Amino acid sequence: MMNPLALKELLYKIADDQLILGHRNSEWTGMGPLLEEDIAFSSMAQDKIGQSYALYTMLHELGEQEPDTIAFTRNANQFHNCVLTELPNGEYDFSLIRHFLYDTAEILRFDMLTNSSYQPLAQLAVKVRAELRYHTLHANTWIKQLGSATEESVTRLQRSLEYALPYALGIFEESAYESELINSGIFAGEKALQEQWKIQVEKILQHTQLHLPDWQLIQPVIGGRIGKHSEHLQPLLDEMSEVFRIDPTAEW
Amino acid sequence: MNSLDPRVNRLPAVGQPGQAEPKAPLDQFGTYEVFVQPRDGKPFQHEGIVHAPNLEMAFVLAKEGFTRRFNCVSIFVADTRHVYVSPLTDGDKSVISIIQEVSDQPGEKVSYEIFHLLKRGKQHVHSGTVKASGPAEAMYVAKNLLPADKVIYNLWAIRMSDIRFTHPEEQELWMTLPEKKFRDASDYKGGDKLKEFLERAK
Repeated sequence: MMNPLALKELLYKIADDQLILGHRNSEWTGMGPLLEEDIAFSSMAQDKIGQSYALYTMLHELGEQEPDTIAFTRNANQFHNCVLTELPNGEYDFSLIRHFLYDTAEILRFDMLTNSSYQPLAQLAVKVRAELRYHTLHANTWIKQLGSATEESVTRLQRSLEYALPYALGIFEESAYESELINSGIFAGEKALQEQWKIQVEKILQHTQLHLPDWQLIQPVIGGRIGKHSEHLQPLLDEMSEVFRIDPTAEW
Repeated sequence: MNSLDPRVNRLPAVGQPGQAEPKAPLDQFGTYEVFVQPRDGKPFQHEGIVHAPNLEMAFVLAKEGFTRRFNCVSIFVADTRHVYVSPLTDGDKSVISIIQEVSDQPGEKVSYEIFHLLKRGKQHVHSGTVKASGPAEAMYVAKNLLPADKVIYNLWAIRMSDIRFTHPEEQELWMTLPEKKFRDASDYKGGDKLKEFLERAK
């Protein structure tokens, strides 16, 4: 028998990741390094918010509140996103590294979810995976190019990589329901995902001059999945929900 | 003052009165031509250009730049410098009538993609593929590929090996496009919203 709490917790964490990173990435709109890249990055941010909407809708069908209510009225400690997604954008090198590390994990996660025993999720995963195909093409291409371009680009990406990795490992913070999710066939689990992710990250970085520190020496930053966030999340939520809090029926 | 906008910070310095400086080279990437196939079975057509550091990035940036809204099943890109252009004609004169015969050239024949223009100011449409040892020969050989009953104003030829095509496993990139309602400008109902606003403001 499937535990509904286990399923909801899984959906919440994926949806919150997509919403928060979608919002962060959208902060580059109008500020991107070149017009074409500005358009591409903004468009992917919009995809992520659309994906979070699809997952919040699924949660609503499972008895949770309306998608807008879920997205705009919770406080930071009620969000299940990993800390990686809420960190400020910084310079473009950090945003690209985060995009690469995060989307590499997400396409693998949704690939696994296409086999989920929860049919609505399995069906949605096929579509999300197709959209993420572009996100990873975009991320991998930039990382391969800038990861072996100039001394400045390599140095900056390396520094951002080292800064981001402990947070990236936090993507795979295990749920309290991990074994139930695995046993009921809903999701093959964070450990399995993390193993695939490491292999793929190593594979792409092999094409660059970037080097990975020893995985064993990286201390994961966890807590996001249980609502323990950095000081950066609440200001993001305040800004994102400003209009909704003034007028919940506003349309624009 | 430093702007938050990186593009403002890239603007050239104002310079000193009375001094003459050599013109600085442009801080711009080169251009790449983007071709889009709207549906299976339809020909590719020229859609526009992107700036990019190289062919692979051009493909990546063209996908989001040109295929976010309208139907698309595949794209390809080529460096602008690799596009060969015939003379332009006007009125009733077809470019076919002025393309000169190219005698069989020595050297290896390679594939060229040919594009034709049916209306000035419209897009070039893919006509087909020919084998030739150079772009001029490719245009001459292409005569049989072109619609005989129409006036054609211009031809393009691009060597196939200079093109970045969509790989078969990448076709998934456009899978969800038809259902993306929010990407269709008309679905924003901008006109209705403006009308409503003006009504309320009366």
